[in-house]
Amino acid sequence: MGLIKTVFMTELLMGLKIVFMQMFKPYCTLQYPHVKHPIPDGYRGLMSLLRYEDGSERCVGCSLCEAACPSNCIKVVSDEVPGQPLVRYAREYYLDISRCVFCGFCTEACPVDALAMTKVYEASVYDRRELMFDKRKLYALGEQFLEDGKAYLVAHGMDDGTLYPREGLGDNRYAFPPVDTAHGGEQPEQIGLTREALEVEEIR
Amino acid sequence: MEIGWMVITALLQITVVLITVLLTVAYMTYAERKVLSFMQDRLGPMEVGPYGLLQPIADGLKLFFKEDIIPAGANKIIFSIAPIICLIPALIGFAVIPYTEGFTLFGMQGGVIADLNVGLLYIFAFAGVGAYGVILGGWASNSKYALLGGLRSAAQIISYELAMGFSIVGVLLLSGSLSLVSITQAQSGTWFGFIPQWNVFLQPVAFGAYVIAAVAETNRLPFDMPEAESELVAGFFTEYSGMRFAFFFLAEYGNMILVSCLASVLFLGGYNAPLPFLSFIPGFAWLALKTWALLFFFIWIRGTFPRVRFDQLMKFGWKVLIPVTLVNLLVTALGVYIYNN
Ligand code: SF4
Ligand code: SF4
Repeated sequence: MGLIKTVFMTELLMGLKIVFMQMFKPYCTLQYPHVKHPIPDGYRGLMSLLRYEDGSERCVGCSLCEAACPSNCIKVVSDEVPGQPLVRYAREYYLDISRCVFCGFCTEACPVDALAMTKVYEASVYDRRELMFDKRKLYALGEQFLEDGKAYLVAHGMDDGTLYPREGLGDNRYAFPPVDTAHGGEQPEQIGLTREALEVEEIR
Repeated sequence: MEIGWMVITALLQITVVLITVLLTVAYMTYAERKVLSFMQDRLGPMEVGPYGLLQPIADGLKLFFKEDIIPAGANKIIFSIAPIICLIPALIGFAVIPYTEGFTLFGMQGGVIADLNVGLLYIFAFAGVGAYGVILGGWASNSKYALLGGLRSAAQIISYELAMGFSIVGVLLLSGSLSLVSITQAQSGTWFGFIPQWNVFLQPVAFGAYVIAAVAETNRLPFDMPEAESELVAGFFTEYSGMRFAFFFLAEYGNMILVSCLASVLFLGGYNAPLPFLSFIPGFAWLALKTWALLFFFIWIRGTFPRVRFDQLMKFGWKVLIPVTLVNLLVTALGVYIYNN
């Protein structure tokens, strides 16, 4: 039996048969530039800055994204809104997307969900300078892919679309949610003031 | 006058055959990529022209415009002529392949460019010369990988040329001629009216051995040790680029087509139709069909088998293939002797 197998090379013939039959199976190629794969909402593509429905900028220039970024590619220049002391915004905002590792930490860090990632992944350009996104470019992206950005925030559990009531804020540009509903958590129990807060009290 | 017509007929036939061969080479690369893709659930080239049909032309143009680099320390003269030494034997062998039934053109005999009475030896002699192109190209590149590829190629071609030669001698004994035209003509007709008188039915072992040796001779997977891209980058043509690379490429595919044509002529009846009632289809179509079937087989085994190790290759060549073909030769010789007496 073993000899017959060796002489007639049955294993080889078996392999040939399998490969031949494989030719008649459907292909699994996606003709990429013509056909594109659907992108999930949580996809981390190019960064964008969002605006509220009334058109005001969400970003308050707190630089938390800058601190969170592991590749150090964000630069925020914060400033007061002219004529409105205590209300701040980002006068300039630079994001070097060519250095970005698309980790999404900045969007997590942002307290007002101003940053969101779009589903754009075709970022090739002829001039690398175009990959240095400034504030204008980021807001333009945010405007163009507003739905993507919102879906991103929802998919990552940062926003269920109801977190930030815009009514009755007066001069303020944002309000924090009363309860952390997005994460389904309880409001953290208040066990007196923290040490830092006490120090602040004392100074006052 | 006679001479003039002879030259014109020869030139015409050469043009037709050469263009056919080069077109086949071009579309062989396309077919190879497509068939391999289908075997791997892919689509293959799809962008250039409908279903990627113009891909070979794009590839050719690309190679033509590539920079031609001669590496520092390379032997310039040998480096330049090696691709040519490789390519010419691959193309020149087609001169003795009878591509269709004999016909007369301007009073001259057509059907084959040159009916040499040593046609088979001629092809083998040139195949041997082609091996020099590979070895010299590998040596002249001044690169370890290329040199190793060339050395492997030398060892491999020597071992498998023997087996190939032995497998063919059986056919020679049967037809009593070295001329490919006579060999083809000896294979016309049928036994009992339904089995075509092809040598493959008399020499099945030799046919198998020939195909295996041919795969090894043309450096194709699973015997592509001289180029073994995972070990030797690209083997003997690692340092080649542009048109010189294209020459090696053409030579490889030209050789594949040549050995397939030769197998069709020697074992599968050449341009003969398998059965008499099918002979309304012209001879060259039958030859093309048989050649393409063998070429498909080449692609098929490339898609199936992994590359063998070098010692396995040598062991198989010397310890299996050569003894088998020798025994086959002995049996054939005895058979022919008994039959003739
Ligand atoms: S995604 Fe990550 S790397 Fe990119 S800007 Fe945000 S924090 Fe930095
Ligand atoms: S994007 Fe968010 S985290 Fe960054 S500065 Fe603006 S508000 Fe702060």
